[in-house]
Amino acid sequence: MNTIDRIGVAPAENLAAPYSRTQQDFARHVKLRNRRTRLRRFIRGMAGILSILLAWQIMSQILDLDLLLPPPLTVLRNVIVTLTVSNSQWLYGPNIYVHLSHSFLRAMTGFVLAAVVAIPLGLVLGRITTLREFMMPAIQAVYPIPGIAWIPLAILWFGLGDTAVVFVVFATVFFPLLFNAEAGARLISPTVLDAGRCFGARGFSFFFRIVLPATVPYIITGLRISLGGAWRMIVAGEMLASQDGIGYLLMESRFQFRAVDLMTAMILVALVGYATEKLIVGTIEKRTIEKWEVQPY
Amino acid sequence: MNRRSLLAIPAIAALSSLRGHRAFAADRIRVGMLKPNIVTVIYWIATKTGAFSRNGLDVVEYPFPSGQTAAGIEQLLRNGLDFYLGASGEVAHANSRYLEAGKKLPIALVEGGIASGTFFVLRNDHKGKSLDELRSMKLRVGLSNPSSFHLILFRAFLRTRNMTTKDLNWDFLTLGGPEMLPALVSHQLDGFMHDALTTTLALQANAGFEFMSSGNGDMGQEAKLVPGTGVCGNLAFMKANPDVTRRFTQSLRDASATYQSAPKADMVSIMGEWSRQDPAVIEAMYPRFDPRVGLTEAAAQAWWNVLGQAMLARGEISQRMTVSDVFDLDYVQQKS
Repeated sequence: MNTIDRIGVAPAENLAAPYSRTQQDFARHVKLRNRRTRLRRFIRGMAGILSILLAWQIMSQILDLDLLLPPPLTVLRNVIVTLTVSNSQWLYGPNIYVHLSHSFLRAMTGFVLAAVVAIPLGLVLGRITTLREFMMPAIQAVYPIPGIAWIPLAILWFGLGDTAVVFVVFATVFFPLLFNAEAGARLISPTVLDAGRCFGARGFSFFFRIVLPATVPYIITGLRISLGGAWRMIVAGEMLASQDGIGYLLMESRFQFRAVDLMTAMILVALVGYATEKLIVGTIEKRTIEKWEVQPY
Repeated sequence: MNRRSLLAIPAIAALSSLRGHRAFAADRIRVGMLKPNIVTVIYWIATKTGAFSRNGLDVVEYPFPSGQTAAGIEQLLRNGLDFYLGASGEVAHANSRYLEAGKKLPIALVEGGIASGTFFVLRNDHKGKSLDELRSMKLRVGLSNPSSFHLILFRAFLRTRNMTTKDLNWDFLTLGGPEMLPALVSHQLDGFMHDALTTTLALQANAGFEFMSSGNGDMGQEAKLVPGTGVCGNLAFMKANPDVTRRFTQSLRDASATYQSAPKADMVSIMGEWSRQDPAVIEAMYPRFDPRVGLTEAAAQAWWNVLGQAMLARGEISQRMTVSDVFDLDYVQQKS
């Protein structure tokens, strides 16, 4: 028996088949491992959520807090009722879908407008030092003003209605978008920039092939933070200058002392916000970061 | 007398004076109110004319901004306040939730204004139009909050005509009382439903006209009797301190009597101070505003017939609710 036979390694001419089997095994192993990881994450996440819900249910019942902190089962029942109720049966004007769609439209209008202005501006500021030195102090001075503080001025400038709410969303989400894009563009590795130039990238091609892909992780982070901010601000804006939308719904239910409706509206905002984030930012992320395999520098 | 006894004399004297002082100390109560807001001015008249101190009460003031009526009620529910001025519909809303849950009612209205004081002001370019002409127009009407007393009264009026706000092509927008006039002047609003002060300011600025007034009977004869200013209290506190509660309502009635008998100039000054308005504006408002309280069983019933029924019809309050779930007339001192 030769050495190869003893250690069980195939002769050279038969190597291709076992090698491809090993590759398949490895791929299967990776797939299985990923599935297990996903399952583990799901179970742990669900366990966390269920623990909170259980604690909430017990606390609400033991301390008799159902009017201040309605138990999750009551809230869940109310969410279902709210999603199936018609206009004529409901206290809060049009049905929940109308409220949600109006809020969604306002939030998205402010968000998209801010993205269209803030991201290019951030990229330009990040790459042009002179302009950055001129503009950043002024931008940083305005940044600490909370979004809600813009509401009275927004009403004064744009009147009561959607434009004021959209402006408030714009004012809130503009800064995280701008700062992230600016930081991303400013912090691109000089090696990457030099490599791009060496390959002849100039002007627009330099921007679209080098600067933009390198900045994408930062822009995505900015979009994610801003989208959450847009939903937070839409609620505040609609409480003051609207007669529909989820913010209005929250305010009306507060004046009706219906904590269960308040919590239902909050849960629906959370669900729609989560879905929006997954749909918009998730899609952009897939089409950029994952496609280009870009890493932050 | 030894040295220790000599030293004890001032200590005993100090302690006895403290005991004596405690015996005459006023009862401390926590009172919340909308401020600045003309609707709650009776509180300030009582304070300035010494009505509370004469009734042995030491009032700790908890102001809430205009439009934040619910915040005061929330404090009352959490036992953070003993009494609250400026809400009435909210009392029914809050108690209804407790009634639906089969719990003990937490609050009640114990006193109320003698005038309803709801005004519907429209911009001058709508002058001459009737409600039927206006109902199909796209109007923007300002309110201080979605459960505004004025809106409920207006809804009650619409009920008498077999209508609801859904039959009107109007937008009801919430904004603070002080912002209503600028919004009307800048054509952001076509009108508003609010109190006598905002109405007077709009009339003085020639920005609008009085389209409807509950005091004139434009919203129905029974609406004239509905108490405008609501004074409510925490039921647990009131049950434990009935004497304090009586003295509190008595203080407000004493202030009402003083308002009637005192020189107008003095009252104008007090009301101007409370509402942060020029005395000339208060003078102009005088004919359309009466801050006095004097809840009667008839007024409570009128409140229920008008506002209560409007809230019931809209599903805002429980069908099991009755007038006694909103009012506690035990402290009413002028029964009809």
